[in-house]
Amino acid sequence: MLETARYEGRRRLRGAAILTAGIGAYTGFIVWYFSVLEGIDYEDVFEDLPPAMLEAFGIESLSTIEGFLGAQVFNFVWLLGLGLYFAYVASGIVARDIETERMDLLLSFPVTRSRLLVEKFAALLVPMVAVNAIGGLIIYLFVVAIGETIPIDHLFLAHLLSAPFLLVCAGIGLVFSVAVDRAAIAERAAVGTVFALYLVESVVGGTEGYDWIQYLSPTQYYEPTPILIDGSFEPIDSVILLVAFVGLLILSQALFERRDI
Amino acid sequence: MSGEADRPLVVEGLTKDFGSVLANDDVSFAVNEGEVFGFLGPNGSGKSTTIRLLLGLLKPTSGTAWVLGADIRDDTALTEAKRRIGYLPAHLGFEGEATGEAVLDYHGSMKGDGRREELLELFTPPIERPIREYSTGNKRMLGLVQAFMHDPDLVIMDEPTAGLDPLKQEAFNEFVRDERERGTTVFFSSHVLSEVRRICDRVGILRAGSLVELENVEALLHRGGKHVRVHANDAAVATIADLDGVVDPDRFAEGVQFIYAGDVNALLRELATHDVRDVEIGEPPLEDVFAHYYGSEKLVDESDGTDEVTNESDGTGATNA
Repeated sequence: MLETARYEGRRRLRGAAILTAGIGAYTGFIVWYFSVLEGIDYEDVFEDLPPAMLEAFGIESLSTIEGFLGAQVFNFVWLLGLGLYFAYVASGIVARDIETERMDLLLSFPVTRSRLLVEKFAALLVPMVAVNAIGGLIIYLFVVAIGETIPIDHLFLAHLLSAPFLLVCAGIGLVFSVAVDRAAIAERAAVGTVFALYLVESVVGGTEGYDWIQYLSPTQYYEPTPILIDGSFEPIDSVILLVAFVGLLILSQALFERRDI
Repeated sequence: MSGEADRPLVVEGLTKDFGSVLANDDVSFAVNEGEVFGFLGPNGSGKSTTIRLLLGLLKPTSGTAWVLGADIRDDTALTEAKRRIGYLPAHLGFEGEATGEAVLDYHGSMKGDGRREELLELFTPPIERPIREYSTGNKRMLGLVQAFMHDPDLVIMDEPTAGLDPLKQEAFNEFVRDERERGTTVFFSSHVLSEVRRICDRVGILRAGSLVELENVEALLHRGGKHVRVHANDAAVATIADLDGVVDPDRFAEGVQFIYAGDVNALLRELATHDVRDVEIGEPPLEDVFAHYYGSEKLVDESDGTDEVTNESDGTGATNA
């Protein structure tokens, strides 16, 4: 049981450690930067920016540590950076093994294709949990270190609710991974799609008449800044993301089961 | 299926059309229990396609096969049968950063590894090292260990000795014979006639996607021949080229090359009577052997030389080969 998930999960440990360390270092820099800027009236600084830009970057309340983290860490790293990262990594799950012909060996095991796929995908939970659990702890410790406070339940929610969003991004990658033979193509397609969806939400989202388009983007359903500031979120958003993820997973399985290797 | 289903491998009208290439065209044969069956054919003749169909990696266009009684179109049955199947692919895509040991642990956890230590005494890949440092031969040996370590009833191998040095190749031959004694059924592909001749009970010959012949090895022993290249003076070359059993002599500036299908001793005796500057005797390209024994349109352009042997197997003329 779960031998593949365990084996593949162990292979992800190194990447997860590097990812978490990198994000920890970036977070440390941002928190330090906040402490340096303290006393400056941030709203004045950003007053001249067009509202669309403020909207796009989710800049709401930069004078509090919650707002600052929301804009500088969560909107950039979690929504964009990690969204792209998980789409990229997931797109290699099958395509890379087919390209190197490792898949021949894996499919000689007495295990169904769909199970193999789910277990290989489950190994992505290693970096996903590491970056949220350890990353969250690092953020909290940095904030405390500069003498600020952040509601621990808000921070916890911001991390927890990022999981459905990241799963959808990874799910998009997985669909490309089973549909395409070459890892490089699957990776480009997955990263391009997630990035395009991010732009769709942030740029087109404000345009009248076309605002429905924004609902196609997973970024529409995960807004970390309000969660951090006052703990507010729509449970239906997470449900939509989870349903979308399950749909992508089922689609990947169906494609994988039917295809020639 | 009835009685046929008792045999470990039954192939019936197996066809795989990739659109551009008809890789397998109505292939039918069966392998008996405890038999070593060689699947012979030149590169590109569709051997790997058959093997990948048998393992469920590819879906057949038409026809089917039963592997240990499981229909290859039935995923559930085939998955269950894989517990008792060992597989050695032609290209071993082990992940480079893992050690051989880690890979064997993983494979063992998926299908069992009761014979692992015993096999590691025979085949000796450096399992404590990461696989990216392995030579082709070491990778092949690791592949052999994982293919046999769960003591399967049927082992399917795609070009198992490619990359093995001659000593390991001999060890492999010996090992396959022992496996047969234990009752294991072995099905493997090869493009080397001599290898198949040495260890197989029966041989199926695939050419351009079609099975052209199914025969036992004794029959095959009389076929084949050697590829001979002799450097000598013109008079000697003329006599040698006239020997019985010389096929398609091809003269070049310093000598002659030909396929020799006669008695090797007669050839050696004849060579000894001349002043031979150099001689090479080796395995002929399988396509040459086929062209000689099975004829077809290939024989016509044989006169142009043997350079384009590989082009022939791309599927053109697949239906009438």
